[in-house]
Amino acid sequence: MLNLLKPGSWFSRPDPLLQKNKECFISFDQGRPLAEYSFVVCDTELTGLNWKKDELISIGAVMIKDLQIDLASTFHHFVRPQHMEATKATLVHRITPEQLERAEPIEAVLPRFIEFIEGSLLVGHHLILDMHFLNKAAKKVLGGTLSNPGIDTMRMAQGYKRVLLGHYHEHNPREISYGLDDLGREYNLPVFKPHDALEDALQTAYLFLYFVKKFRKGGLVTLKDIYQAGRVGSLRY
Amino acid sequence: MNQSDVHVVAPEMALSFFRGIMPFNSLDDATLNHLARHCRVDFYPKGTRLFTADKTEITHLYLIQRGGVKAFIEDDHGEITLKDFRGEGAYIGALGIIRGTLASLNIETVEDTFCFLLPREIFLKLVQEEPSFAHYYLKSFSEKIVKTAYKELRHHKVSKRSGDDLYLFSVKVGELVKTMLKLPSSSSIQEAATIMAKYRVGSLLIHEPADEDNVVGIITDRDFRGKVVAAGLDYTLPVAEIMSGPVKSVLSQALCFDVLLKMMTTGIHHLAVERGGRIIGVVTSHDIMLLQGHSPYYLFKEIRGEQQIRGLYVLAQKIPEVIRGLITEGAKAGNITQMIAILNDHILERMLILLEKQMGPPPLPYCWLLMGSEGRREQTFKTDQDNAILYADSENEEEKTAAESYFKEFADKAINHLVNCGYPLCPGEIMANNPKWCQPLSVWKSYFTTWISVPDPAELLHATIFFDFRAGYGDSSLALELRKHLNNEARRKDIFLFHLARQCLSIRIPLSFFKNFIVEKDGEHKHHLDIKRQGLTPFVNFARVLALKHGISETNTLARFKALLDGEYINPELWSSANEAYELQMQQRLIHQLRQIEEGTLPDNHINPEYLSDLERRMLKDAFIVIERLSSVLDKMYPTA
Repeated sequence: MLNLLKPGSWFSRPDPLLQKNKECFISFDQGRPLAEYSFVVCDTELTGLNWKKDELISIGAVMIKDLQIDLASTFHHFVRPQHMEATKATLVHRITPEQLERAEPIEAVLPRFIEFIEGSLLVGHHLILDMHFLNKAAKKVLGGTLSNPGIDTMRMAQGYKRVLLGHYHEHNPREISYGLDDLGREYNLPVFKPHDALEDALQTAYLFLYFVKKFRKGGLVTLKDIYQAGRVGSLRY
Repeated sequence: MNQSDVHVVAPEMALSFFRGIMPFNSLDDATLNHLARHCRVDFYPKGTRLFTADKTEITHLYLIQRGGVKAFIEDDHGEITLKDFRGEGAYIGALGIIRGTLASLNIETVEDTFCFLLPREIFLKLVQEEPSFAHYYLKSFSEKIVKTAYKELRHHKVSKRSGDDLYLFSVKVGELVKTMLKLPSSSSIQEAATIMAKYRVGSLLIHEPADEDNVVGIITDRDFRGKVVAAGLDYTLPVAEIMSGPVKSVLSQALCFDVLLKMMTTGIHHLAVERGGRIIGVVTSHDIMLLQGHSPYYLFKEIRGEQQIRGLYVLAQKIPEVIRGLITEGAKAGNITQMIAILNDHILERMLILLEKQMGPPPLPYCWLLMGSEGRREQTFKTDQDNAILYADSENEEEKTAAESYFKEFADKAINHLVNCGYPLCPGEIMANNPKWCQPLSVWKSYFTTWISVPDPAELLHATIFFDFRAGYGDSSLALELRKHLNNEARRKDIFLFHLARQCLSIRIPLSFFKNFIVEKDGEHKHHLDIKRQGLTPFVNFARVLALKHGISETNTLARFKALLDGEYINPELWSSANEAYELQMQQRLIHQLRQIEEGTLPDNHINPEYLSDLERRMLKDAFIVIERLSSVLDKMYPTA
């Protein structure tokens, strides 16, 4: 089994886990009411921001069911990176090197994460970054990528502001901060401790609920409505 | 799913939320962790209806993490009555879950609101297993919570001083009383003295010869000295000749504090103690003083005995220390302000007596009037002087000139002495040294007639404090007559009451909903609560309008409320909530000011809600609900259209 997963193995094909994950979304319907979907809001911590070299060191995620954050369904794991040395220098997180040394490698953590997100839409703040590292890991470990549709709360914020402020007139979009904590403050959300993957995922989940329900008051009830109204970006990353 | 350690721990943000709210903060971490992991978080934009009365089945306890809701009822005609505001840390739905009923109130968010939702079964289990939970959530049967609030105020806000553990408020006179020997009133003076010597007691109760339970008097050592020996009285005479009677009595369950107040107001130092309709003994001021270190009674005696006006300056400064003692012992605000009023009155009385001695007797009888909060016996530590002189009408021009010049000088000097005693000048110059407020009865009557029959809203605003006048010292029959005049005029003039009522309603200031709390939106004291203007004044105004309407002479706000209840002008439920809310806020204010005095800052009325405990906020918030109710009563009574 391990042989099959080795990168570069020419007859490699995606792991059954990814296959199953893909099947969930083969006939994906965007037209149902939002409350019928389950969402997993996730956040990752990285050794750095180099898309090629850096690695995941923790994954935090929380489930949203019936458009409520379910504190019973959370996911929080540290990941032991392959290159510990580089990590020590770049850590801004609350994770200590000792915690990382004790942690399991991505090969053990990722399959659990994929089980956790099965059938759910992924939500993240600047999700493209998290997805890049998750897919990089998935290719390496399981020989394929994730099929879960994604929603980026940063794009939702942009869409929300566009709706709220009309069009761009008088507002230089550069002056607007789309950072997670700035948005939290702007919308008067509870603010949690930053740089912890689970707390950041929860922070994002609060922001997501805020947007979804604020949008919903404007008559936007299905996933499709959200995508179109906010022009919040494509379904696939 | 394989779960590692990090996974099973509830998110920190959830734990810290629960640790910050009552009564969850009393739970251990394992329990909290368990709870937190069963919660969901939901978001409700402003204006979302959460519960509908008699319809919504409550499946979760809602705990507000951010934002706020209002609770209200709607009658058949669609009329809405606001019942409550709840904000961060507050709960929704507890009573419904405990009682197993549908929602009893409509709940709607008034801000964007995030709630933690704790499943009903888990909450019920907590209520069953944690005594503190049941206790906390059944607060609507509220006596207990009120007590807790007072206890909390005492313990956390007033630092203890050593040797300060006093008992005025915990000891009942019944526990203090010495059962006393009794003699029939027909016994001779000598027999009485023999008994007293034999049993080594300083006093005896005297009863009717035929009925041992009918106590008619009391004799003390002092009576033998003064009335028998010094006067050369025949000691074969019956004791009835020298006894003091009838005997004033107090109930054995009365608190020593109340007994002390009674002694101070009546000037009687021996009171009989009654239990089950029988006199069981006597309690003396000395017995009570033994309980006490910083006794109000000592101060009272010192004031009464002071021979120099300068000496009063020092004594007046001792009042805060005495009051502090009362607060630490657990006196309620009503008692405390009463005590402050008594002590201030005695300072005033003593000062005016000494001043009269200096200047010679006044040419006409006069009454020193106290206005505003002093008039209502509601002053706290440092209240501005609000006073006036009312003197009898003169017979002729000569008398008039004499009175004007005497009272002018008298007032100037008195005001000056009061300043030296630590009572600041009134910035609005409502003081006896202002010629306008030093007038004969006929002029005072005409003042009130003008205010009442041609009410000028602007002038009325300044005049309200005059309506709370009472006699401070002097010939109180003058004040009584003025009050009678006022009552007669006011009752008949609906237009005046209308203006007064509308004025009360108009000075309600915009309030914002800030962190579960109502504070000023802007200005110097942004985010502070002005507990006097916003919290207490509405009660005072309400009581004043209704008292004038119904010809009630009381000036004290709680007394006015009581009189309104007794006259069935307000219902018992409104009375009890108003009474409770007003007193609690006074308490809060007193403690706030006491703390400022001890920190060496000038006492003010601005409370920062951040320094209040969860419970105190709740209690204060409840008070604001009562204010809303009072306003709507007034609004209905004097509608604009």
